[in-house]
Parts: sequence; C-alpha cells; structure tokens
Amino acid sequence: MSFREKTAWISLISMAGIYGLYFWPLMRAGAKRSNTGGLLGTVIALIIVQIVLTIAVAVFDPKNAQAPRDEREKLIELKASRFAYSGLATGIAFAVFFAALPSPIIFGANSLLFILVVCELMRSSSQIIQYRRSA
Amino acid sequence: MATIRNEIRRLRFEHGEMTQQELADKIKVTRQTVNAIELGKYFPSLEAAFRIAAVFSKPLESVFHYSDEDDAH
Repeated sequence: MSFREKTAWISLISMAGIYGLYFWPLMRAGAKRSNTGGLLGTVIALIIVQIVLTIAVAVFDPKNAQAPRDEREKLIELKASRFAYSGLATGIAFAVFFAALPSPIIFGANSLLFILVVCELMRSSSQIIQYRRSA
Repeated sequence: MATIRNEIRRLRFEHGEMTQQELADKIKVTRQTVNAIELGKYFPSLEAAFRIAAVFSKPLESVFHYSDEDDAH
C-alpha cells in the first residue's frame, strides 16, 4: 500500500469516526441545541488524530512520505476531487432548498458541516477505491 | 476498445532481474504505479513511457504495443 493510500485511509476512518461521534447525538436530539464547544473539540481532535497517524505512517516509510506525488497519484486525486465536488454541489443545492424552510440557525450550520464532511468522505473513498482497483 | 500492452516485466528480468522498486526509482514514480502499468491497470503518460523505454535502452514500440480492436474491422 502506498503512502498516499495510507493517508486516504487515515482521513476516511478518522473523519467518519470523529465526526460520527459529533453528529450522532445531534441527530438523536434533532439538532435543536447548539454544540459549539463540541464542534471545536471535534475539529481539534480530528487534527491531532490525523497528524499523529500520518506522522506514524511517515516514520515507517520516510522515503515515500517525502517523495512528491507521481502522475498516477495526481490523477487519482483529481478524479476523487471531481467526484467529491459533485456531491458538494448537490448537497449545497439541498441545503439552500431546506434553508427556505423555518429551522434553527444552528441546523443550517450543522447541515453545511455535514455536507462538507460527507464530501470529504466521498473524496477519501474515491481515492481508496481507485488505488485498490489499480493495485 | 483500445488497449496498450507492455513488455516491462520481461524486460526487467532481462536487465539483471530489476525489481519494480528499482525501476520506479529510475523513472521517479512509486512502485505501485509500476505494478499498475505492468498489469495494464494504468496507462503511463508519454513522458513516463519514454523514461521506461530509456531505462531498457529500447525504442518505445518495443516496450509498449497499442492495439485498437476497431481497426480490425
């Protein structure tokens, strides 16, 4: 498994896990309450986890970690970003539609964050699938 | 549908049993990319193809073979 694929796995698992812990209580409570402190802690936890895991992977593979992306990795990243962008555009369109409905402001902010997280998961998933298909 | 076959695996073995990692280092790609090229799961850029051919001191057409099944009709 290449270094880039490992970082894609780190991104996918850490975002799904950490943001899952953030959104699950919100979904159960119906997003009727603000959770600014929880969001800040979520972001900080995600940053720390991703940095620690990426450094750990790089320590065991320093040569590939320092090497620039080759042409195949760049192509995989471009295709994954295009796939994620389509999700982002669709999600934003839904968010704008539902913004017209009466809802608490925090619901709008959390829905936008949720869309962003889903798109990042789409991007990481797409990268992993492309890496696995060409392995 | 167009396909591109290659002789990279055979040429590696003929050149002192060169490993995929050694070839990858010479043409500045990852070992996984070399593996994907050999298996026909990834078609390299023109630059990468020329680099591969230069490593084996072969013309491009000796390393990569292009075929378009539609041409047969």
